[in-house]
This record gives sequence, C-alpha cells and structure tokens, in this order.
Amino acid sequence: MSIELGHFALILACAIALASSIGGLTLWRSGERLASVLAQSAILQFVLVAVAFLAVVQAFATSDFSLALAANNSHSLKPLIFKISGVWGNHEGSLLLWILILVLFGALVAAFGRRLPADLLNLVLGTQSLLVVAFGGFTLFTSNPFARLAQPPIEGADLNPILQDIGLAIHPPLLYAGYVGFSICFSFAIAALISGRIDQAWARWVRPWTMLSWIFLTLGIAMGSYWAYYELGWGGWWFWDPVENASFMPWLAGTALLHSALVMEKRNALKIWTIFLSIITFSLSLLGTFLVRSGILTSVHTFASDPTRGLVILAILAVLIGGAFLLFALRASALRQGGLFAPISREGALILNNLFLATAVGAILVGTLYPLVLDALIGTTISVGAPFFDLTFGALMAPLLLVLPFGPLLPWKRADMVAAGQRLIGAAGLAIFLTILVSALGGVSISLAPLGLLLGFWVTFGAFAELIERGKIGRIPVRESLRRLAGLPRSIWSTAIGHMGLGLTVLGIVSVTAWETELVTTLNPGETTQLAGYSLAFDDFSQIPGPNYMADTGHFTLTAPGGGTTNLEAERRTYVASGMPTTEAAIATFGLSQFYLQLGEPLDNTHVVRIWHKPYILLIWLGAIVMAGAGVLSLTDRRLRVGAPQRATKHVMEPAE
Amino acid sequence: MAFAANRLIEGAAFLKAGSKRPEPMIFWLIAIAVTAIACAALLYAGRGRPVNAAGDESADTTSHFRQLLAGIDSDLAAGKINADEAIGAKGELAREMIRAKSEAKPAAVGLGRAALVSGAALVAAIALGGYALLGSPNIPAQPLASRADVAAQNMDIDAAISRIETRLAEDPNDIRGWTVLAPALVQVGRFTDGANAYGRVIALSQPTAQLLTDQAEALLLAADGAGSDEAMTLLRQATELDPTDPQPQLYLAAELTRTAKYDDAARYWQSAIDLASGAEPWLPAARQGLAVAQNDGVDTTASDQAEMIGGMVESLSTRLYDEGGTIEEWTQLVRSYIVLGDLPNAQKAYDASVAAYPTAFERGELDTLALSAGLKLNGDAQ
Repeated sequence: MSIELGHFALILACAIALASSIGGLTLWRSGERLASVLAQSAILQFVLVAVAFLAVVQAFATSDFSLALAANNSHSLKPLIFKISGVWGNHEGSLLLWILILVLFGALVAAFGRRLPADLLNLVLGTQSLLVVAFGGFTLFTSNPFARLAQPPIEGADLNPILQDIGLAIHPPLLYAGYVGFSICFSFAIAALISGRIDQAWARWVRPWTMLSWIFLTLGIAMGSYWAYYELGWGGWWFWDPVENASFMPWLAGTALLHSALVMEKRNALKIWTIFLSIITFSLSLLGTFLVRSGILTSVHTFASDPTRGLVILAILAVLIGGAFLLFALRASALRQGGLFAPISREGALILNNLFLATAVGAILVGTLYPLVLDALIGTTISVGAPFFDLTFGALMAPLLLVLPFGPLLPWKRADMVAAGQRLIGAAGLAIFLTILVSALGGVSISLAPLGLLLGFWVTFGAFAELIERGKIGRIPVRESLRRLAGLPRSIWSTAIGHMGLGLTVLGIVSVTAWETELVTTLNPGETTQLAGYSLAFDDFSQIPGPNYMADTGHFTLTAPGGGTTNLEAERRTYVASGMPTTEAAIATFGLSQFYLQLGEPLDNTHVVRIWHKPYILLIWLGAIVMAGAGVLSLTDRRLRVGAPQRATKHVMEPAE
Repeated sequence: MAFAANRLIEGAAFLKAGSKRPEPMIFWLIAIAVTAIACAALLYAGRGRPVNAAGDESADTTSHFRQLLAGIDSDLAAGKINADEAIGAKGELAREMIRAKSEAKPAAVGLGRAALVSGAALVAAIALGGYALLGSPNIPAQPLASRADVAAQNMDIDAAISRIETRLAEDPNDIRGWTVLAPALVQVGRFTDGANAYGRVIALSQPTAQLLTDQAEALLLAADGAGSDEAMTLLRQATELDPTDPQPQLYLAAELTRTAKYDDAARYWQSAIDLASGAEPWLPAARQGLAVAQNDGVDTTASDQAEMIGGMVESLSTRLYDEGGTIEEWTQLVRSYIVLGDLPNAQKAYDASVAAYPTAFERGELDTLALSAGLKLNGDAQ
C-alpha cells in the first residue's frame, strides 16, 4: 500500500500547489495571512513529495516489481546503492527527483523568507507552486512513476549498465539542485515584474540563491564530466554533446547572473538586465532538463523518446518561458533604472563579463539547436561538432580571461586602468616566465598552447593581486600582513579563490589538449609497451564474476619514469540481465596527471589496448571544486547568509569593493 | 516463458481456492485522513497569525541603507575615495532611500474566509478525484521477499503440470485443465504430450484454426520440423476454417517447399504474403520462400544479394573518398570490405579514415574492428 500512498501524496502535493499558485498569483496583495498559508503550503508540498519519493525508493530497495518503474529499471541482484540510485536513472524517476528538489527549494524560501515583504513572498511562492503544478501534472499524466503491474515479472529488466555507477548517485542530484535552484531566481524575477517593485533588498535575496544553485551546478557538471571520463572509456572529459551543452548554458548564464546581481546589490544598477538573466538562466535550465526528454536528441542522457511527451514538454516550455518573456516585455519598462557609472569601473568590468558570457551562451545555443532546427525544417542532417565549439567558445573566453584579473581591482563607479595594471605586473611577469619555461621544457605540439597556458597562469596568479594589495604583502611585516588577510571580508577571499579555480581549470584543459599522448595497440599477456616514458606490462587475463555481471579482467603493471610501479585492472563487463557490455577503464594517478588504460575486445589471446597519458588533467575538476568551494565561502559571508539576522550597527569594516 | 508462466499462474489460481486481496478501504481511509490533515494545516495557517511582523520591510530596507552608508564611511577612512566623492555617494544614497520610502505601497487585498475554505475544498476534490482517476488502490505491494514464495510456487512448472495432470486423471473432461496444460507441455519440451492435450481440447470443444495450428505446431516440433500427414491435415483444416490466418499457410508452404512440392508451396507462400500487412517479421522469409518455390528450388536471391551489397559498398566508398564522411560511415565501409573478404580495400579505407580522423579517441570502434581483422594502423596517429 505504501506505493499507492506515495502516489496519492504526489497528487495531493500537486493539488495543494495548484491552489497555492492560483491564490499566490491572484491574491498576492492579501498580505501576511496569505503569506503564512503559502508558506505552510510550500512546506506541505515538500513533505508530501518526499513521502512519494521515499515510497518509490522503498519499492526499488525491496525489488517490488509491481511498480512498473522498478520492474523496468531495477534488478533484484543489484547492490542496494544502485537500486536506490536507479530511482532517478530513468525518465519518470528523475522527474520525481526534479520535483522533490523544486519543492525543497520552495520550502526553504518559506522557512527562511519570513522576513521578506509579504507581497514578494506571496508572488515568489505562487510562481514556485505554478512550476510544481506544471511539472507535477506532466509527471502524473504523461510519465507517471507510480504505474503498477498487477502481475509483476519475476525479475526486473535492469538499469543501463553504464548508469550502474556511483556517479549516478551523485551527478543527477547535484545537477538538478543546480537547475532547480535557479527556479527561485526565476520566481523572484517574476515576482518583481508582477509587483513592479525591485530594489537592492531584492538583489540581496536573489544572490545567495543564485550562488547556491551555481555551486550545485558547478559540482554537478564537474562530476558529470569526470564520470563520463572514467566510465565511457574513451578518455575524453568533455564532448560538446547537446546535453552537456544544455547543462553548460545555464552555468554560463548563472555565472553572469552571479556577477550582475553583485552590481545590482552594491550599486542598484543593471536591474532589468539582472531580471532578464534570472529568466534566461532558468529557461536554459528547463531547456537542459527537457531537451533530453523530448526525443529529439539521442545520447547517454536520453530517457524518453515519445512524441506525445515531446509535444507536452514543448507546450510547457512555451507557456513558462514565453509567458515570462511576455511579462518581461510588458513590465520591464515600469522598473526604474538606477546607479550611474563610468565605462572603466567595477560595474563596467562586470558588464564586460556579462557580455562575453551571454555571447558564449548564444554561440553554444546556436551550435546545439541549429542542427535540430535544420533537420526539422529542411530535413538536412548536419553535425556541429567539437571544432565549432572549441573555436567559438575559445575565441570568446580568451578575451574574458585576459581582462578577468582587472575586474576585482577596479573600484566602483570610476576607475583607473593604469593603477590596476600596475598591481598586476607581478602576476603578468610570473605568468609569462612560467609559460616560457613550460613551453621550453615540454615541447609545443599545437600552436595555441602557449597562449592558453599564459591565460591560465595569468588568471590563476592575477586572482591573488587583490589579496596582495589588501594584505600589503611585502610592504609591512609578515605578521601584520597575515593579520590583515585574516581580517578581510570573506567575499574578497571567495572572489580570489573562485577566479583562481577558473585559472586552474584553464591550465588543466590547455595541458591535456596540448600534451596528451595516446597509443592504440594489440598486446598479449606477457608483453610490454611504452608511452610517455611509462612502461606498461600486460601480466595476465582472467574472467571474474561480479554481482550482476561477468568481467573480463586484464591485469597490468605500470612503471612510472621515476621507477614506482602501480597495478592496474581494466575490465570489460557483460551484464547478465541486459547482455550489455561496458568497459571499466583503469586509471592511475600520478600527482595531478593520469594514466588511462582501456581494455578493448579480445582477439583470441591478443587484446586491443588503448592507453592515454593525460598530464595535469585533474586540474580541470580540481579547478571546478575550488570554484564551488569559493562559492561556499562566499555564502558563509555574513552579508549573504540566508536568513541571517542583520545587526543594527556595523562594527566590522564592510567590504568596500 | 512469461506467457507460459502467466498461464500457469492462472492454472494455479483455478486449482487453489481463490486468493486474498487487501481491501482498498483502508487505503481510502488513510488518504482521506491525510487530505483532511493537510487542509486543516492550511486553514490553520490562514487564521491570521501574522508571520511577517508589520514594519519589517521598512526596517529591512533601512538596515540595508545603513550598511551601504557604513561602506562609504569605511572607504573614506581607508582613503579609497576622497571627501567630495564620499559626499556625492551619500547624496545618491539619500535620494535612493527617499525614493524607496516614498514608493507607494500597493493597496492590500483582504483574504476572506470563503477564499480559504474554497481553496481547501479545491485541494481535497482535486487530490481525491485525481487519485481515483490515476491510482490503482487494488494492487497490493509485492516486494521480492513476498513475491519469491509465490513465484517459487508458480514457477515450478513440472510440479504444476503434475498437479494438473493428477486432477485431469480424475476428471478427463475438464476442458480448462487441458487448455492450461497444453501450452505448458510444449513449453517444457513434451511436444507429443502437448499435441495430445491440444487434441483433447479440440475434442471437448469446437476446433478452431488457432487450436488446430497449435496442435500441428506441437507435432512439427515433436518431429524436429518434419511434417507428418497428421500435421499437414490439421494445417489444411485450419486454413479452411480461417483462410485469413497466415500462420498455418506458412507452415504448409515451408513443409511443401522442403518436400519439393513447389507449385502448392508457391500458392501458399503467395496467399500468406497477400494476407500480410507489410510489417510482419516473417515477410522477408516468405518472399524468399516464394522465390525459391517459383524457381523450382533454386535460391537465386543469394547471388542477387551479393551483387547488391557490392554495389552499395561501391557507392559508399566513392562518396566517402570524394566528399568525406562521419567516422561511423568510414567504420561501416571498413566493416563491409572485411565482411566481403576484400582486405586490401579494407586497409585502404582504414588508412583513409585514419587520415580523416587522426585522434584515436574518435576511432574507438573502428580501431577495434580493424585491428581484429588483422589490418595495420599506419600513419602518424600514434
């Protein structure tokens, strides 16, 4: 009965959301009484959807195949962790997770938003409930996770083996938290447009939500990239796959939003642009979530390819996004612009940042959708591949990275470029020196590598310029400098660390792109091969049964140039239920570099073996983690802490950025 | 397999004295209680207990401006801006604050009791009605732990068969028992017994085309595909009973082709093909069978096919060498040459595709295919 109770809980939650959205969006002037009803409703929605979600998790955990979803996606022999993560390894279940996170964020606003003006809270919770109705209705009527089987099969159909990985337990929840978190910014934007009121308090509320969502999205994308890297067995970490692009676009837009909300909060400028970005970011999130499910794309991410669902999705997207932009067009002019500034200023730098990021989003959007549109209109199939994206995105990012270190050094309103430049001379010198050194030592295989390296070092070191300036490092005693650094607002630290993280990622990308070496060869057990100074010996080959698969395992010994040896095991698995093969690459880590080995198909006694040496590849994901960490640090800044009470007087020096 | 298991579960149900289903009543009681609690919680929240204290908003705004003011002072103290700039900034701040204060607050709209109660009623109606539309309260949970027993009971086909056989020995005229037993016997490989069981069903009821075909099928299986006179008679009867069913005609055509009676065979092949709607999986085989029968047993399609494949490979290769193509197309070309046994051309195509796709990363499938066929990886791709 728990499954049916879960089903009922989901329907009840949608009914409550429907009433909330009608009440919130029509009676939003009703003040505190309505606000407390809507807050209660948001919390009820969360509790009920959580019950629904747990009912599905329980059905998966106990292999209750009377739930069609479990029968189609689970298997009684799967380890428990994969049974649970299998809940969202499919279209219906992942929608349920999406809704769970949506109502969780709604409940958080209800819980922490007691100090928000009642009108704003009513509109925000009303909009949030409208989203719950749209996605809840879509789930219940076209993709119901609670469909039952009166006569359950003895055994389930199993989950796609590629998804039977710890990555599935982490990547989608993080990514969805990121996508869905931007719904809060969207709801705040809609609320501002409807009420016609937008001020710095609004920006101060939106920024932590943007930051929180951005952190999740950053980690989600990085995790997805690393997962693809080690699981898909091709050794690549980014494919410009439409679905990757779909997650990357909201990230870029969210990054722009993060910076424009800063301008709005500090200087009360860029209001309309910030609202616009809030809508764009969430619209791109929706596109990301639903492009996957519409059946117009095919990739590892594709769940549903049912034309009816596709049409409903299109209708939901059209109503939500179209409605939001219509509202924007009608109401944006009613919002008052404020805050004047000179072109060369912190504001100017942040606008430049937004300009480049928005253009990059546009380029990726065109590259992703153009083939689909072309296919639909004139039936020509073209493929916009990595070269297009590498070129356009690279060309857009290079100038952005070039000016990035200047941004934090420029004062608000009016700034002196030369003064900022002077403070960056050290970083520039260090970057040039290291680039020449590395290029001389490493040998240059593609012509753009030194430029990329230079940019990476420049961003990484430039990030510290403000800290050095503020800490007066080198100009006063070290102890005094450390005291000053420790006393700096966390927002300054998080800016520096966040930008440094970006620099690290750039360095990783450049290093792998330019200096990666690869080898494809056939190898018999007992033979040895060489790559990049490493020596790889194929020791033996055996067949080992796993819990729900059979594995052909190759045992290798890798000898590093320095002399240390590592044992590697690369597998080819065949899953019992589906008969599908997967490859499990063996990865050996040396510092920040990795040695990647994939066992190919056996040919009698010989095996095709693919080997890559990937110098400093870990910097790519390390950079992302550093960026997310900087975001967390920024959230702990008192100024931004969600729901933190404001002190009546300020004793601590405020950041004067 | 699933088919036979379902039939057996049916059979077991008919042997056992019914099964127990939990009453959906308890479910509805819980559902109504949950709805009532949720609506009560909403109504309670709407009673008027203020959550946002009045004046909070302006206090919030004021503290925000105070922070900005402190920021300007600290900038001034730190020497980041001079006194004139500080005064200008403070002036701008003051204007902003006056504007925020003077901004007319929209008129408040009251939230009546009627609106609240009708909202709660809406929630209850939609939830319970929606569930009545979508839910299946009658289906019990069947986790593996409990299902395993039932499954073990039902899945022991041999035991179930012997139980039904015992029962049929007492009452040989129980048509339902024979109906369940016949496909199960075929399923476990007791074809002759299965054919006999179908025979009992037919004797106890009206012969239908399906039953006759099933019996003939069991006989064919028992004879390893060779058609006995008995089977052929059954199939002819089935065809007469239902001329629109292609299945018995296909069996007849195949058997007649096998025994070299090509004229009759061609007639049945043609008749079955005429009955097809176009999507049937057996259609290509039937067309081939017809061609064989029409040529008195000579399979001409094989050489035609080889010629056709050769032509397709030729056109693909011309296009790829002239215009290039995706890595999948190159892989297809290399595979085709390997399948045709044309290794020199396969090597040539492989070299060309390596030149077009120098990164091994993109050539995963192709490399495996080529290396396994003994081709060599030339060029600078290593």
